[in-house]
Amino acid sequence: MLNLLKLPYRYFSWFIHHKKVTPLVFLAPFLIVFLVFKVYPVILAIIMSFQNFQGIKSQDWVGFTNYENVFELVRFSQALTNTTVYTIGTLLVLIPLPLILAVLLDSGRVIASTVFRVLIFLPALTSLVVAGTVFRLILAKDGFLNLFLEGVLGMERLRWLEVSELALPSLILIATWRWTGMNILYFNSGLVNIPGELYESAAIDGANPWQMFLRITLPMLRPTTFFVVVLSIIGGYQVFVEPFILYAGGAGPGDGGLTLALLIYRTAFTSFNFGTAAAMGVILALIIFVFSLIQFRFFGVFGGKE
Amino acid sequence: MTAKTQYINPGKLGARRQSRLTKWLMFALFVCLAIVFIFPLYWMVISSLRPEGRIFVDAMEIIPSALSFDTYRRLFEEEPYGIWFVNSITQTGGYALMGVFLCTTGGYALAKFRFRYRNLLFVLILVSQMIPFHLLIVSLFLMIIQMGMAETYQGAIIPLAASPIGIFFMRQYMLAIDDELLNAARVDGASEYQIFWHIVLPNARPAIATLLILFCIDYWNNLLWPLIVFRKPENFPLAVGIKRLIDQYRQQYDLTMAGSTLATIPVIILFFFLRRQIMEGLATTGTGIK
Repeated sequence: MLNLLKLPYRYFSWFIHHKKVTPLVFLAPFLIVFLVFKVYPVILAIIMSFQNFQGIKSQDWVGFTNYENVFELVRFSQALTNTTVYTIGTLLVLIPLPLILAVLLDSGRVIASTVFRVLIFLPALTSLVVAGTVFRLILAKDGFLNLFLEGVLGMERLRWLEVSELALPSLILIATWRWTGMNILYFNSGLVNIPGELYESAAIDGANPWQMFLRITLPMLRPTTFFVVVLSIIGGYQVFVEPFILYAGGAGPGDGGLTLALLIYRTAFTSFNFGTAAAMGVILALIIFVFSLIQFRFFGVFGGKE
Repeated sequence: MTAKTQYINPGKLGARRQSRLTKWLMFALFVCLAIVFIFPLYWMVISSLRPEGRIFVDAMEIIPSALSFDTYRRLFEEEPYGIWFVNSITQTGGYALMGVFLCTTGGYALAKFRFRYRNLLFVLILVSQMIPFHLLIVSLFLMIIQMGMAETYQGAIIPLAASPIGIFFMRQYMLAIDDELLNAARVDGASEYQIFWHIVLPNARPAIATLLILFCIDYWNNLLWPLIVFRKPENFPLAVGIKRLIDQYRQQYDLTMAGSTLATIPVIILFFFLRRQIMEGLATTGTGIK
């Protein structure tokens, strides 16, 4: 038996050691999984966005009907607006705050700066699910934030989770907690790359720290800032877990916390409307694609490491 | 990380002239900030330790007067939390190992071999990084069902395993491995697989370790895909299990906080052992943890 296998084995061995085959052997595992579970599903999703589904099995072609339905849907425009406002809101907080903190932490004026860096970074390690549950507790009607507002600041309690207008501020609050440390990290890698000579010669010219910040640090950080902005936009448009947990799978009061990704999930797995969900997915992908191209155009891949 | 910076930073100039007052003010500012950022985690732990039914009643007690581990007992006795924990460990382990295997071999092929369509493939991988996962949830869901992979670990792991960032990260690292080293081994008659095993892998160990850690944290914290693949509670990983504890109809805040605490502790422990690797890995892959 063993002898019988010897010849096929020899051929096999010759084959996989062939100069043209070896690279493919190394590549094959990734390539197969990549093609089957990344490339093919994208094509399938685009096809599905032109189909109407009755259950999982039967589907028929409906042209652009799904897309027309999506754009007529009030909830879709609501979700698009919410997501856009959320993204802009996170940008307004998550760019200036981490930038200033990173510069301060890097300035050598803060005692034990590494400790603070780590402490502010810790939230970035928690699961978004955990971030959602903890803030659902803190933002609850009798939760800590309201007791704090009432007891310490003498303000009225706010119904964070029940009022439509407070849904996006709540989500932005979570984002701030979760991502500030991460963005400090990005800005820090930008700061480290600013040549020290610039500050030396500025000091010789008698510039004060504030002038140095405006004239040297900010302009030199521009690429990093732009990178973080684009990254935040791409992440912001995909926000899902936080509202999903905060509103127990619902969309929050009056759809105030309904984001695009949440709407796609609910359309697919609550209404089982696969065609429409796929069409929404395509639209979300196009939005993100545009911003990714901007990043690509200005920075190359993943922040200009290429 | 800043300790390695040899440059003189903006504030370091004239740091001696700076008054003590500013120094203390700055310190106070950061102490306050750190408290604000740590507080939700502290609150999670404290709330999980409050006696049953006291989670909102005692909310004014920032330092609790009574502690109880009863919630944790209930978590394991009334809910299948232990099973979820084990599921999380096996699924995370499987995902990380498979992901690292695919990215290491694939990254090596992209970095050190020339073959037809290599650049096209590379661009395709990079473009795929831009695709939001929400585009794929319907099509992948149908595929998983048709392939009979619903409710299985394979169904949860394999569709996520071919990570574009992962292979990009490995490729960048592999590019730095000296070609002379590989060629010398070839001259000595080593086969390509021996070279990979005996030279490339040992040289890439730091990158492999970093990727392994990042993949672990990634899956451990992931909700969306496992949520779609698993409907049966006995298959849930932690993230999906915790979500179930705080569902619309049964908002068990105490159990949820205990579950969240236990799910966070392993990541924090890992972080304190491998802080540099995690932070630098995250900064270079430019992804953050979802």
